[in-house]
Amino acid sequence: MEEEGERTKRWEGDYERTWEVLKEDETGSLKASVDDIILQAKRRKLVHSHGKVRLGMMRHMFVVIDASRNMIDQDLKPSRLVSSLKLLELFVEEFFYQNPISQVGFITTRNKRAEQLTELGGMPKKHRAALQKAVEIQCLGEPSLYNSLYMALQTLRHVPSHSSREVLVVLGSLTTCDPFDLRSLMKTLNEFKVRVSVIGLSAEVHICTLLAQETGGTYHVILDEPHFKELLMYHVTPPPVTNMESSLIRMGFPQFSAGTVGDGADKPSFNMAQLESQGDVSLTLGGYFCPQCCAKYGQLPVECKICGLTLASASHLARSYHHLFPLEAFEETSLENISGDRVCEACQVQLTKQQVCICPECKAIFCLDCNLFIHESLHCCPGCIHSQS
Amino acid sequence: MGTSSEEVLLMVGHVRFRKQDGCLYLMDSRLAWAPHGQERFLLSLPYAEIRAQKISPDGKAKVQLQLVLHSGEAVTLHFAGDGDSAKKDRDGVKELLQQLLPRFRNQANRQLEEKNRMLQDDPVLFDLYKELVVGKVISADEFWSNRTSEPGAGAVVPGAKQNVGVSAAFLADVKPQADGCNGLRYNLTADIIESVFRTYPAVRQKYTEHVPGLLSEAEFWTQFFQSHYFHRDRTATSTQDIFSECAQQDNKELLNVIGQDVVKPQLDLNNMDDAALEEGYGIAGLPASAGSRGSRESSNSAIIRRFNHHSAMVLSAGRPDRQTSGENGEEPNGADETQAPSKRVCPATSAGDYVDLEETVQSCAVSLNLMKADRYHHGPVPLLSQHYCTGDEIMAAISALHQEMAEYRPRLAQALTSKAAGQAIAALSPGGSMMQEVGQIPADLLAGPTERQELRQLYLGLSELLRHFWACFPISSLALQDKVIRMKGNLERFETTKIKVFEDKLAKSQQNGNLTNHLREMLTVAYRKFHTWQAKQSAKSS
Repeated sequence: MEEEGERTKRWEGDYERTWEVLKEDETGSLKASVDDIILQAKRRKLVHSHGKVRLGMMRHMFVVIDASRNMIDQDLKPSRLVSSLKLLELFVEEFFYQNPISQVGFITTRNKRAEQLTELGGMPKKHRAALQKAVEIQCLGEPSLYNSLYMALQTLRHVPSHSSREVLVVLGSLTTCDPFDLRSLMKTLNEFKVRVSVIGLSAEVHICTLLAQETGGTYHVILDEPHFKELLMYHVTPPPVTNMESSLIRMGFPQFSAGTVGDGADKPSFNMAQLESQGDVSLTLGGYFCPQCCAKYGQLPVECKICGLTLASASHLARSYHHLFPLEAFEETSLENISGDRVCEACQVQLTKQQVCICPECKAIFCLDCNLFIHESLHCCPGCIHSQS
Repeated sequence: MGTSSEEVLLMVGHVRFRKQDGCLYLMDSRLAWAPHGQERFLLSLPYAEIRAQKISPDGKAKVQLQLVLHSGEAVTLHFAGDGDSAKKDRDGVKELLQQLLPRFRNQANRQLEEKNRMLQDDPVLFDLYKELVVGKVISADEFWSNRTSEPGAGAVVPGAKQNVGVSAAFLADVKPQADGCNGLRYNLTADIIESVFRTYPAVRQKYTEHVPGLLSEAEFWTQFFQSHYFHRDRTATSTQDIFSECAQQDNKELLNVIGQDVVKPQLDLNNMDDAALEEGYGIAGLPASAGSRGSRESSNSAIIRRFNHHSAMVLSAGRPDRQTSGENGEEPNGADETQAPSKRVCPATSAGDYVDLEETVQSCAVSLNLMKADRYHHGPVPLLSQHYCTGDEIMAAISALHQEMAEYRPRLAQALTSKAAGQAIAALSPGGSMMQEVGQIPADLLAGPTERQELRQLYLGLSELLRHFWACFPISSLALQDKVIRMKGNLERFETTKIKVFEDKLAKSQQNGNLTNHLREMLTVAYRKFHTWQAKQSAKSS
C-alpha cells in the first residue's frame, strides 16, 4: 500500500518531496535513481492494453482549440497556444497514420464564439497548413464550450452511424461562457452518440468532468508538455465501441492504372481532388479510378466527390491488423531466473538490468527497451517470426 | 383559392382595378383583388414583389394608390368610395402596406444578397454557375435548390450569427480610460451593449423608450454611466435620472430571488440547527432571522446585495425562458430542462453520496469475436473448381524434378549473347524503352492551355451534375425518382450542348480526340446505372 502510494506520488510529480525520490549511491551519483524513474515510466506505458475488444476504426473527430485569454499564458513555452498547435500537428500525423480512413476537423473558440478552422477531411496536409497559420490568432475573451460543441454537432450529426463521432477539447481556461445550459446540450450529444473528451491545461473544472462522464469520454489535466503529448497520443488509438450494431460498409479498392501514350484506350484526365483548387491543374494519364463512377484521384484514401464512395487500398486496412490480433504482453521475470546466455534476442546486448521479458510463445528473452518497441511499433515478436521460418 | 387559408388583415370595398369594380383584400403575405360578385382573384401580388407604393396627391379628384413592382411594372388601384371614405380607405391601405412591406423587402433582398455573396466568394462556384445556368443546361432555380440542399457544406455558414452567452465580468471589461481633460472614456462594443440589455432588461426598456427619439445613443450611455444606478454607492435618492425606476425594479427582483427556496436542503444554512436535546441545552434562544435586511443601510450590505443581484441576473439571462422586464423571476417551463429552483424536486440524498468517492466502474467494452481468423491473413479465395492431384502424382512430379536437376547440362550454344543480354537488361531497367515513366509524361503536351481551361470547365460542370445524379441512389422516394430522371435529362443535355461542341472544335483544329474520353466514360457509367435501375423498376411494376 505504501509502495503504491509512493508510486502514485512519483507519477503525480508531487513537488513537496522530490528530494526523497532521488537517492545517492556511495559515489554520490544520482544515476541509479534516475534510471529507476525512467524504468517506471516505461513500465507504465506497457500496462495500457485493450485486449480483444471491438474498436471503432472509422472515426470522425473534431478538435476544439481554446484561443481565449488564458492561452497567452507562458507556462508552456513559448505560449500555451503555440505549444498546443505544434503538438496538434504531430497528433494529426499520427492520427492519419493509425486511422487512415478517418477524418478530422478543427474548431477554435474565443470571445464567446466558435469559428471553424478546417472542415472534416482526410487530407493531413490541409490540416497541418491551417494549424500553422493558426499561430497568428489573437487570443481574447472567454471560450464557449456550448458554441463549439454545437458547431461540431451540426456536422457530426450527418456522419453515417457506423463511424464513431468524437470531439476532443483542448481547454486552457477555467471558465466557459455559454448562451444556454450545457446540460441540455449533453442530452443532445448523447442522442447523437458523440463522445466528448477534454484535455485541460489549467485545472480540473467540474463541468468538463460532467461532460466527459455523460458522453463516455475522458478528462485529463496536463502536468507538463511531455504529459500533454502523451495524453494527445492516447486519443490516436481507436476507442472501444459501445453500440452493438455492426454494419456493412461499402468501399472501393481501385487499382492504380498507369496509362501510356499511344495506347488507344488512354484517357488523359483531371484529378478530381485538384479540380477545385485555384492554381493550374495538370492533365495526367494514370491514377486511381473510382469503381462506381470512374472519377480519377491521385491519392488514396479519399472519399469520392461524385458518388460518395470511400476509396482505400488494402494496405490502409491492413494497418489496423494489430488491433484485431494484438500481441500478448510478455511475462516479466528477474534476471536471476534466466539460465544460459543472458543476451537480448532482439538487440544482442548483454542484459544487466533486473527485469527482462519473455515471450510466452517462443520463450525468447528481450530487454525492456525492445519489449516497448515490439509492443508499440512492431506488433509482432521477432522470436516467433524467426522460429517460424 | 379563396381567403379561407389565409388571414385577411384588411378588406376594402369599392376599389376599382382596370376599370372594374371590386374588393381589395390585404392578407398575411399577399395582396389580392377580386371583382364584385366573383370568387376568383384577378390580381394577386405577394408583398415580396412590391418595391414601393405611391399615392396620388391630395388635391386630385381620383383617389389612387400605385404599387411599383421589382420587375418595373406598376399596378394602379382606384378607390371609388364616396368622398372622404375613399381617402380614408386608401390611407388605411397605405399604412398597412407601409408596415408589411419592409418585412418582406428584407427577405427578398437578403436572399439575393446571399446568392451574390456566395458567387463572389467562390470563383469556382461562379464558373460553375456560368457554365451550367448561362449555358442553359439547368435552370437557375435548380442550381440554387441543389446547392442549398447539401447538408454539410451549407450548414456552417462562416460568420453566422451565434448565440452568445453573457460573461459574468462584462461590466468589469468596460475599462474606462482617462481622457486628457478630467473625463473618462468608456469603450462600448456591441457585445457589451448586448450583455447589458440581457442582464438588465429594465435598461433595455429605457433604451427603446428614449433612443432615438429623446436622446441619442451616446447621450443615453453617458447618462447610464453617470447615473447612480451604475454607481457603486447607490443611495436611494430619486433624482431626475431615468434610471431611478430601474433601481427600484432591481430591488424588487432581488427580493424575489431571495424569497425562493434553496435547491438542496443540505446547502441551506439557514435551516440548519444544532440538534439539541431540549430547550435550554445549547440553543441560544431564537435563531437569527434569515438574511437580515436590517434597516441600517450599510454600504457593505448594499454592495453585496448588488453583487448578488448581478450574479442572479447573469445566470437567469442564460435561461431560454427569460421574459422581458416586468415579470418577476423565472416562469417554470415544463418542457425546459432548466427549471426554476423552487420547482425542482430535490431527491433526498444523503450527505455522503459523492461520485468521486465511489469506485470507478469500468465501462464494459464489446469484445471482439473473430470467426475464421485465418481469412484475415490472406485475401478471399475464390471458389473455383480446383484440379486436385493425387498424392502419388505429386510425389512423381517431385522425383521427376529432382531427376531433371541432377541431369542438367548447360547448353551454352543456345544462350543469348552477352550483348543481347545487356540490351535486354537495359530495356527492362527504369527509364528503358520497355519501362515507360508512369505519369511522368507531361500530359500537358497533349493539350494546349486554352483547351485545358475549357476542359476544366467541362469537368467542373459535369462533376456537379454527376454528383447530384449519384446522390439520388439508392432511390427510396418518388421525389428522388423524379430527380434522377431530371438529372439524366440534364446530363444528356450537357453532353449534346457542351461536350459535342468541344469535340467538334478539337476535331477542327486536329488535336487529340481523346481528351474527352474520360468524360464520356463517366457519362456512360452513369447512363448504365440509370438503365439498370429503369429495367429493375419496370420488372417490378410488370
